[in-house]
Amino acid sequence: MSDILALAPRFGSNSGQSLTRRDGVAKVTGTATFAADNHPDGLLYAVYVPATIARGTVTHLDVAAAKAHPGVVEVITPENRPPLAGDPDSKPFMFAFRFEALQNNTVRYANQPIALVLAETFEAATEGARLLNPLYDAQQPRMGLDGDAPFTPESGGLGLPGTTVHGDIDAGHAASAQDIDVTYETPEQYHNAMETHAVVAQWNGDHVTLDIPSQAIVMQRGAFGYYFGIPPENVTIRSPYLGGGFGSKAIINGPQILAILAARMTGRPVKLMLSRDQMFGPSGHRGATRQRLRIGIDTDHRMTVLDHNSLATTSTFDTFVESAANASQGLYAAGALRSAHQGVRIDAGTPGPVRAPGEAPGSAALECAMDEMAYKAGIDPLEFRLKNYAETEPGTGKPYSSKALRDCYAQGAARFGWAGRPLAPRQMTDENGMLVGWGMGTALFAAPMFAAQARAVLRPDGTGLVETAASDMGQGAWTALAQIAADSLGLPMDRIEFRSGTSDLPDAGIAGGSAHTATAGGALHAAGTDAIRRLAELATGDPDSPLYGAGNAGVIARDGRLHARDDDTRSESFADIITRAGGAEVEGKGSASRTAEASAAHAMYSHGAVFAEVKVDPDLFQIRVTRLVGAFAAGRIINPKLTESQLMGGMIWGISFALHEEARFDQRTGRIMNADLAGYHIPVNADVSGLEVITVHEDDPHVNPLGIKGVGEIGITGTVGAIGNAIWHATGTRVRHFPIRIPDLLTGA
Amino acid sequence: MSYLTPTTLDAALGALSGRDTEAPVSVIAGGTDWFPAQGERAYNGTLLDVTRVEGMRGVSAVGTGWRIGGATTWSDILHADLPPAFDGLKLAAREVGSVQIQNAGTVAGNICNASPAADGVPPLLSLDAEVELTSTRGVRRLVLAEFITGVRKTARAADEIVTALYIPALSAGARGGFTKIGGRKYLVISVAMVGAVLTLSGGRIATARITVGSASPVALRMGDLENALVGADLAEALERVTPERLAALSPISDIRGSAEFRGEAVVEAIRRTLTQIMKGQAHG
Ligand SMILES: Cc1cc2nc3c(=O)[nH]c(=O)nc-3n(C[C@H](O)[C@H](O)[C@H](O)COP(=O)(O)OP(=O)(O)OC[C@H]3O[C@@H](n4cnc5c(N)ncnc54)[C@H](O)[C@@H]3O)c2cc1C
Repeated sequence: MSDILALAPRFGSNSGQSLTRRDGVAKVTGTATFAADNHPDGLLYAVYVPATIARGTVTHLDVAAAKAHPGVVEVITPENRPPLAGDPDSKPFMFAFRFEALQNNTVRYANQPIALVLAETFEAATEGARLLNPLYDAQQPRMGLDGDAPFTPESGGLGLPGTTVHGDIDAGHAASAQDIDVTYETPEQYHNAMETHAVVAQWNGDHVTLDIPSQAIVMQRGAFGYYFGIPPENVTIRSPYLGGGFGSKAIINGPQILAILAARMTGRPVKLMLSRDQMFGPSGHRGATRQRLRIGIDTDHRMTVLDHNSLATTSTFDTFVESAANASQGLYAAGALRSAHQGVRIDAGTPGPVRAPGEAPGSAALECAMDEMAYKAGIDPLEFRLKNYAETEPGTGKPYSSKALRDCYAQGAARFGWAGRPLAPRQMTDENGMLVGWGMGTALFAAPMFAAQARAVLRPDGTGLVETAASDMGQGAWTALAQIAADSLGLPMDRIEFRSGTSDLPDAGIAGGSAHTATAGGALHAAGTDAIRRLAELATGDPDSPLYGAGNAGVIARDGRLHARDDDTRSESFADIITRAGGAEVEGKGSASRTAEASAAHAMYSHGAVFAEVKVDPDLFQIRVTRLVGAFAAGRIINPKLTESQLMGGMIWGISFALHEEARFDQRTGRIMNADLAGYHIPVNADVSGLEVITVHEDDPHVNPLGIKGVGEIGITGTVGAIGNAIWHATGTRVRHFPIRIPDLLTGA
Repeated sequence: MSYLTPTTLDAALGALSGRDTEAPVSVIAGGTDWFPAQGERAYNGTLLDVTRVEGMRGVSAVGTGWRIGGATTWSDILHADLPPAFDGLKLAAREVGSVQIQNAGTVAGNICNASPAADGVPPLLSLDAEVELTSTRGVRRLVLAEFITGVRKTARAADEIVTALYIPALSAGARGGFTKIGGRKYLVISVAMVGAVLTLSGGRIATARITVGSASPVALRMGDLENALVGADLAEALERVTPERLAALSPISDIRGSAEFRGEAVVEAIRRTLTQIMKGQAHG
């Protein structure tokens, strides 16, 4: 149990139950209103014109032709774009990235906005955008990991990984009895949330209301306020439903700023929604990486060194370097550890956080390298990992807040049937002659926390109201957070109202870093606890209450009643307590964050182990993942159904990473050749079979009062490597890049 | 833009004839090729939807052969009661896009669009399909190999509608097969595909019609191979599928696969299709 809370937390009623998503019915019946479903009176439709070159300048736009098209109301170009209070090329706050908002006529990547057309209908705006018929002075774009000389980013937070060294790297290399030196590459990937980026902006004087999908609802008020020169409280953000975010909806992008600006310029509400192909440009992506891994082991197969170096693409005008090499921190007990990063500037949009930023490509390369090392050493890859199991955080020596990774390995391996796997590749076939391979990988994801606040109110009728500006991106925040709140108030789910998703509510922090449930849930729990404390004060101090004299700490809340802790028959309903006290609502407030001391005291991670089976056609080389078993330990599981869905979703993303996803840039024009979901492949249902998730029990008394870690991103890690390793095990061909495609296996045939 | 939905062939042909180029008319059926190709451009011409024209939809036996109406969808093919020679066409129908695409997309649209990766073309070439073109000027018939003239090029004149495809009489016992190679299991454009129709006698190939798609600008019948296969049992047949007998192909490298892979894969895909048919495993 917790050593942070004074009292043992009261779990039981709702927490831990597999409740169905509360937003489910609204979504399947179509009544859920996403940002672009809003149609205020007088609405203008905005369509942005994407650059069709990647580097150069716009020399001409046929504004007259566009304006002449019936229904077109305004065309915004750098010539007439009204000023912004905040410079789009500045970096004024955390998570600020530079963006294009028509500050000039330069083109820095394909698909960046070069004009915005406003019209009475979407169709007219689309046609107006086409009629602008841009002319360019185009330059040869710099593309790919060799497109320019690498640079070393300074360490400084998101997108700026530095170099981390623990121990003596040279000594570690020198001490190795066997070693490997391998290089893996991963491509540019574009996170394509189902709901593309959208905004409906309405100004009222110097106040703006934004219907916009947001992963950081309260925080983004300040960001939008900065660019428009208004205080944060003058920005209202409504984001009740998001059709996915994956990191991109925590970052402001140029087209949205332009639409908001257009609304102020025209005095009318403006709607903009990106088309699918426009998602391949201004709204972030994962940069390509080239990762060199050098591992050394001693004669006992213990790692003397884990040396991970990553080069990643970023844009020419801002820096977001995928922190891939950091995946090698925190996991294996190597004698010496180095994670080093470099960037290369190319003519693409600035990358940004994409589900498991750094960890996803880093784990992919690391887990394959571990497999290569194990094979060279002649031992089973799972045994090799157990041999190098870290009892304390490698390098820092910090104790883990909890770490049930051994159980993950054991339960995952047992479920999968790993025992007896031949060490050598190309040993197994199925009844149809398909080559069968088994691979595994360790999953690791940090368990951070942001800061959040919440409010809880008990009403005279005995119902509760809880508030925090959480983001339900489809992951189930509405449901899991309401479960925590209901539990903290001792009320059943149907007697609490959960207000969420708008910026006038207490800040729920960022729905990112796999920390939303821990952070917003922590604040809700604290608020509920505070409300119950106040209610208990009323009851225990009132001679007319059966709880009189029980003492504040001597009562517990359950099913709408307070009970004396030591005598269950002494109890009173919330409604009676409040009514007798005069009928005023009882309000509690709470917040959650992690103190610096808590961060210093423990290393905090979710862990997991993923086992993959693939079948490869020996002649046509078609690759199918036939089984995927993931066992994860992520602290307290609030809602098993939602948790398993998140983990499965992550593992499917892993299949996608391993076998499908890749943006292909035309080297001459810098344009992405497969900028749509017909060409940018992700797995279809038929590609996903035999998927199993095990949630391993884990009590974490240190990570936060509720013992919650994250499950949103970890599913990708481990999985990509497991699949890559299984393909090698099936075929004997070691492909050192992702995605692994049919032709890659040809050479080994 | 106007959208015409004639219910008689005369009305449809009338709408197509005598138009000047100022006001173009595009024929559409399912629209599953036409609309994606159109992209974001506004269309100011006329769309002529032929799916409601009487008699254009469905498969029927005519004389000794078969008629596939010019607005017959892939789902219609799947649900039609057809002899085993059509198994290849049915297997292809199952793999055109997704069920939604199969419900809307048509066989005629597939051949008129004339993509090298059109899944319908190899099985239809192996069935010796003929194309019936109708205009106010009259009716003509072309064999499919003459109808498709290049990448996205056909012999159809602007005022002509594909009113039907005809499959000539099939020898008793003819059986079809189809193999598609794609990067994922479903909803995928072919890297290469093979359609075949064989007749067998005593476990040996009596006649063979083998077509390879996506490995040349237009899908091609493999004449040398077809001749070489006559008389072969399964084991011999597999051996006779050699790259030299596929020399007419000219695979290219593109985003979906390399020329090298296509070259190797079609050899195997033909072998699989032969095995499928000769072992009686092709069930449309
Ligand atoms: C998501 C998706 C997946 C797809 N997957 C596949 C696939 O796996 N394999 C594959 O082969 N194709 C695929 N396609 C392409 C397409 O679905 C097929 O080619 C389909 O058969 C086209 O038929 P349609 O009726 O929709 O054609 P339309 O789009 O209506 O027409 C296509 C062309 O044919 C002309 N045309 C149509 N009917 C006639 C007629 N009766 N007379 C004269 N001209 C006519 C039109 O003018 C147009 O030029 C896919 C398409 C999509 C959108």
